Amino acid sequence: MIAKKDFKKLSEWLWEIPQSFRQDMRVPARIYVSEKMLEDTFGDKSIDQLVNVATLPGITKYSLAMPDIHEGYGFPIGGVAAMDISTGVISPGGVGYDINCGVRALKSNLEQKEAQPFLDKLAIKIQREVPSGLGRGRQIKLDTTSVNKILEGGVKRLVEKGFGEKEDIESCESEGQLPQADASTVSEKAKNRGRDQVGTLGSGNHFLEIQKVEKIFEEEVAKIFGLFPDQILIMIHTGSRGLGHQIATDYIREMMRAMLKYGIILPDRELAASPINSPEGKGYFSAMACGANYAWANRQMITHYVRKAWTDVLGSQASSLELLYDVAHNIAKIEEHEVNGKPKKLVVHRKGATRAFPPQHPEIPKKYQKVGQPVIIPGTMGTASYILVGTEKSKEAWYTVCHGAGRVMSRHAAIRSFPGNQVVQNLETKGIIVKYWGLRGIAEEAPGAYKDVDDVVEVIHSSGLSKKVARLVPLAVIKGE
Amino acid sequence: MKKYEILEHTADLKMRAFGRTKEELFLNMLLGMTNSLRAEIKKQKSKIKKIKIKSLNLSNLLVDFLSEALYLTQINREIYNKIKFKKFTDIKLEVELIGQKVERFSEDIKAVTYHDLDVRQRKDGTWEATVLFDI
Repeated sequence: MIAKKDFKKLSEWLWEIPQSFRQDMRVPARIYVSEKMLEDTFGDKSIDQLVNVATLPGITKYSLAMPDIHEGYGFPIGGVAAMDISTGVISPGGVGYDINCGVRALKSNLEQKEAQPFLDKLAIKIQREVPSGLGRGRQIKLDTTSVNKILEGGVKRLVEKGFGEKEDIESCESEGQLPQADASTVSEKAKNRGRDQVGTLGSGNHFLEIQKVEKIFEEEVAKIFGLFPDQILIMIHTGSRGLGHQIATDYIREMMRAMLKYGIILPDRELAASPINSPEGKGYFSAMACGANYAWANRQMITHYVRKAWTDVLGSQASSLELLYDVAHNIAKIEEHEVNGKPKKLVVHRKGATRAFPPQHPEIPKKYQKVGQPVIIPGTMGTASYILVGTEKSKEAWYTVCHGAGRVMSRHAAIRSFPGNQVVQNLETKGIIVKYWGLRGIAEEAPGAYKDVDDVVEVIHSSGLSKKVARLVPLAVIKGE
Repeated sequence: MKKYEILEHTADLKMRAFGRTKEELFLNMLLGMTNSLRAEIKKQKSKIKKIKIKSLNLSNLLVDFLSEALYLTQINREIYNKIKFKKFTDIKLEVELIGQKVERFSEDIKAVTYHDLDVRQRKDGTWEATVLFDI
């Protein structure tokens, strides 16, 4: 059992398990948390998983965890690992089954008081427009050729087809398209699962919220991001759906066999990995890129439906919804970082973690160059969400921060602890509109089942990994039909 | 004999299934998985799907079998609650899944994982397995 005595305190917000802790570690393991939160992590296997990640071949400097850490499979959720591109491995477990699960925020030019009379109607309309993909909602079935174009083209393909504005492209991380995508590396099964899920929300912690800016922390940055007090925003949280899940399933299976060939021995099957330069590694990377592009396209299609609902309810007098930014939080990417004073190409795995580039970084849109990348941290249903901005300090974490609040209670326990109708009632008492399909899903995602998002974001802000720009609170929570 | 039970896990769905035989174990884990989707079933005649799988060992075979069944469930909007075993060894399986069309699912299972996977025969000769589903 790992205990507090095994950690070295590096600062108020950073703790380290030295490489000497376990013989198979190649690098130390680090976690960004407060002292209190550190103790809370001992309740599950997340720290063991963080240590396991430190044993992966080619891991550079340290295995990292963010304050929203909780137990996953293979990697912990909230885990980050950068692998040397020439000697390292790539692990589907370091990305997760929901490839490019991510979040985007759309901003309006309306204040709450202007939008208030329309909110309920808008929530109903959005619920109708954006299906969960599990029920009777809208079903469009694409042919394989169209799926292939989305896999390789991502957001760009959708905008080309008229589902969005040109400006949407530059407002996505990696412009909504990883160039390494090659549709021939994706199985027919995965493509089949993807044929009718473009523009679907899914279930679980995926959500759509109408929010308002409750507080601004950095006025100058907020201005550049186009944020102001009481402003109405819409947040979309979803990923690559069945297509991404199938890509992960296919390649984890393949890598388990390949590991025997490459003589890779790891402490957990779900860490299954292959050398980045091996046929299996390259195949996974291209397929994962396809999954990522599909997820960006999915969020773009949902954006299209939300914009339609917005115009239908508010009429043409309301200006269009503009994309603030779209971030991925389950992804592996090739990035250049400084290692021992020299630039080096690394494959950065982020599993439940968000990229947060600093000002002047070439990979962020021109309009944000001066201040840094917008970082969107969704809270849990009915609690606050945050917009932060990337800083130079997060260089030490491969320019990465947390991705949300992080669960502390199982879904099962949540259902027992929080009756769904009571959760709905609590939200409604706070003046939040709730549109949902089943009470069970609402109970599972009860705010009490998660860490406090304010605490998690405080660690990121205080450690300097990113700076708080705005705090958002929900006005309506929508789960698809 | 209990068919399956749900174990505590912070974010995902951890399930333990039981069986007097390996066949029954595979069936009960399948039932645990499909019941978790909480599907509304359409009243229709039964649907049959064939599966053929080869895996590294028995525990991987269980996961690969469930992954295949999950794929068929999602792609065809069907759930399966009976298995007809044609061939079954520790690394190979050939079966027919029998089930019904589904109107809607209330829950989604993203994937069947190999994490904390355990398949074992108990002293009394019966079988038990633990599988973690990503939801």
